[in-house]
Amino acid sequence: MSETNKKEQTTTHKIGIYLWIWGLLFVLSFFSYMVDWYQFQGMLRWSLILIFMFLKAGLIMAFFMHLFWERYALVNVLLWPMTAIACFIFLMVAEFEYTLFSRLFYFFVGGVQ
Amino acid sequence: MSDELENKSGYQAQSSETVNEYSGSAVGDVDYVRPAEVSDQDLYHGHSFITKWVFCQDAKVIGVQYFLTAVFTGIVGLILSWLMRLQLGFPGLAGFMTAEHYYQFVTMHGMIMVVYFLTALFLGGFGNYLIPLMVGARDMVFPYVNMISFWMFFVAVAVLMASFFVPGGPTGSGWTLYPPQAILEGTPGSGAGILLMLISLSLFVIGFTMGGLNYLITVLQARTRGMTLMRMPLTVWGIFTATVLAMLAFPALLVSSIMMTLDKVLETSFFMPTIIKAGEVLGYGGGSPILFQHLFWFFGHPEVYIVALPAFGIVSDLISVHSRKNIFGYRMMVWAIVGIGALSFFVWAHHMYVSGMNPWFGFFFATTTLIIAVPTAMKVYNWILTLWRGNIRINTVMLWCLGFIVTFVNGGITGIFLGNVSVDVPLSDTYFVVAHFHMVMGIAPLMVIMGAVYHWFPLVAGRILDEGLGKWHFWITFLGAYSIYFPMHYLGFIGVPRRYFEMYDSPYMTSGVGLNEFISLAAFIVGAAQFILIYNIIKTLKTGKLAGKNPWQANSLEWQTSTVPPEHGNFGEKLPVVHRWPYDFSVPGAKDDFIPQTVPPSEVIDTEVEKT
Amino acid sequence: MSDPKIEGYQFKPGFRGMVDDTASDQTMFKGVHWGKAMMWIFLLSDTFVFSCFLISYMKGRGSTPVEWPNASEVFGLHVFGVDVPLLLIAIMTFVLITSSGTMALAVKYGYEKNRKMCGWLILATAIGGLTFVGMQAFEWSKLIHEGVRPWENPFGAAQFGSFFFMITGFHGTHVSIGVIFLFIYAYKTFAGHYDEEKRGWFTSMKGNYVEIEILGLYWHFVDLVWVFIFAFFYLW
Repeated sequence: MSETNKKEQTTTHKIGIYLWIWGLLFVLSFFSYMVDWYQFQGMLRWSLILIFMFLKAGLIMAFFMHLFWERYALVNVLLWPMTAIACFIFLMVAEFEYTLFSRLFYFFVGGVQ
Repeated sequence: MSDELENKSGYQAQSSETVNEYSGSAVGDVDYVRPAEVSDQDLYHGHSFITKWVFCQDAKVIGVQYFLTAVFTGIVGLILSWLMRLQLGFPGLAGFMTAEHYYQFVTMHGMIMVVYFLTALFLGGFGNYLIPLMVGARDMVFPYVNMISFWMFFVAVAVLMASFFVPGGPTGSGWTLYPPQAILEGTPGSGAGILLMLISLSLFVIGFTMGGLNYLITVLQARTRGMTLMRMPLTVWGIFTATVLAMLAFPALLVSSIMMTLDKVLETSFFMPTIIKAGEVLGYGGGSPILFQHLFWFFGHPEVYIVALPAFGIVSDLISVHSRKNIFGYRMMVWAIVGIGALSFFVWAHHMYVSGMNPWFGFFFATTTLIIAVPTAMKVYNWILTLWRGNIRINTVMLWCLGFIVTFVNGGITGIFLGNVSVDVPLSDTYFVVAHFHMVMGIAPLMVIMGAVYHWFPLVAGRILDEGLGKWHFWITFLGAYSIYFPMHYLGFIGVPRRYFEMYDSPYMTSGVGLNEFISLAAFIVGAAQFILIYNIIKTLKTGKLAGKNPWQANSLEWQTSTVPPEHGNFGEKLPVVHRWPYDFSVPGAKDDFIPQTVPPSEVIDTEVEKT
Repeated sequence: MSDPKIEGYQFKPGFRGMVDDTASDQTMFKGVHWGKAMMWIFLLSDTFVFSCFLISYMKGRGSTPVEWPNASEVFGLHVFGVDVPLLLIAIMTFVLITSSGTMALAVKYGYEKNRKMCGWLILATAIGGLTFVGMQAFEWSKLIHEGVRPWENPFGAAQFGSFFFMITGFHGTHVSIGVIFLFIYAYKTFAGHYDEEKRGWFTSMKGNYVEIEILGLYWHFVDLVWVFIFAFFYLW
């Protein structure tokens, strides 16, 4: 770490905010565990899992990793590349459906002889 | 005029009281530049031979180390291509050559040239040498990590070369390493060869990540005073964007390497379907070979631009300097580089039109692929418009640049053919594809590398390369490269498939046999011509003309160092302060035809400089 | 953290500020330490690694016609005569979030130059991480004992074991590397290396408390990845 910032003191946040987020994370983890405990199925399970997951991820990034307090220049640099991942996920969903379809199709119907 | 200049200096309204202790001039002055945000970089200076030249932390030495290692692997790749052409042009002439050998040479040639030669040369070599100099930094921001990065690359190359000497030889599965055949018996090098290849790639990714972090943070956080992003030379923009692509694309390669290693070693079935071999069911089952192709090309397509974008950037600078004219549409050029970089993550499956993926993907990927043609064409227009009515110096550097433009346009246009699904299907896996990608990402970036070597050699070594030899080198390479790849398009049209060891008496080869011999002869000559450069370098190092400072009258910071070649720390006592972009050539009213970036506005008050 | 003061530069909020920061000279991330910027970019790259792993997992799981094992049962634990689904995983999650919280506080106390408090919190984080790795080892050995292998398993699709061991193994490697660094940094904090800006062992560059935040970013990232693995692997 070869360069030193001219300004020595870095301002910190009150301890309360960390404890709050910490508590929230426990509560959310408990909720997502309950999704399994009560064996919700189908779309309900899916959406609950995803909601709790994104909430937890968001809290960790925003407060524990201080992204909430960072300047937009950094935040945007970090978040925009995720569109490539989103595109990858989206297309791979279409791809696995097609793979599954063709596996079942050729298994039951068979190919052209 | 002077009003404009005052507006340009920007910050006087906010802090008109403070006196700037760094440049010694008061705020409100046209020459005012904000003081430095961070204190001067702390550098580790080597004391012994080992810390100065071997485990060196100076980015310039690391750059040269990268360059030499990459050139060494490049020569291995060149020799492999000779052997391939020998077989294709004159089947059976080389007695030792079996089909297995041929596939191994194809594979190693491809992998070496794309990853270990071009990527390492552009990002590791030119990136390390030029980024700190061009943005006005003392060194890369993490010199120690940078040093480790090179040695990681060195080990990766050593592992790759070791695969030539293991039982079974190197892998022969094609540079794309498609499973299932890459790790199945029967493919040459399916034992130790493929394992070493996967390990070597993983090491390369790890090493490159270390280097890439350095390049990115140096560009983003360690620029000198006055150096805004829009005042950076396009070389830096090209290398920077390529590094961003590398940081985001190499993970896919790492992941696919790990998964394939597990398939090979632990017999997992990530990529391996149920396979019946000679009546016997293998232990694999249920995997998805197409997943590997998606992962590989999610890396592979950005990889094409990792090679191309630095070439775009460098050639823009060379053209501007040697035609004494500012680059046409600088901002457009920057946005085109960034746009191409961003789009390159959304086009990968155009390599997979015939792979059996979801057929609807063709629409999506053909569309995105053709959209990339727009920023690329903008760049070509801008290069030509930069040349237009410029004071062109037809020296070796300029010849290479012109050669690049022609080759690149040629390769780019065939790319439009291949980007359309319906046109691609009959052309898939023919020599048309080989000709296309060699033109566009083999020869074109190579032309830029050559131009860059002739351009920056005076900075690295302090002597100018011989122009006469350089011109011979250029013309043989340029005409020879066209003799090789132009007929290949035709071979592709008549349907000659790529990766075939020998065509035997195929009926459509009647007109192709002579062409194949001609191509091979041209390939031998072009390959041999590259040694002219090596001879030129050795000769110049001994007896070449001394370059002095700034032999090309360029503006960018690397030519403004206190000594030539620059010493460790680059700029002597004080870092330069930047007042303008690097393209103020032939400015009306100026005393010289160039205004270096460090010249303050007060010295060129009556000239019509661009506002940057 | 909050905006630092930079001579001659006026911070603007929001997107206007983003444009100004990007267009300014010297730095794009104003007041962000080089090492911290590096860690962020590295984490971005690492995010792509884990995304590729999870996308492969999705593709593999989605395209297999063989039935996928029920995670709730496979990872369940039999305690005191009751079958509790995902008990071990719940405890692991709890431990990792706890260690994430202590790390966040360590960063805070580091910046306040509270050497003792910072050191103890880092040590607590390291112990939390170690517990996590230990429990993961237990989980692996239990599954291996039940016959789950990377290449096959008794519950269903063979890819289940492959993806499970690969992804949790890769995550566990990250945790282990983090634990090693946490112990080193705990030592360096207690020894006062950051107060006196002692030079690093290898890099010979001066250290300071920013390094705690950099390590913290890495540690929170490991936690973040676990959130996704927990959701996609154990709950889905």
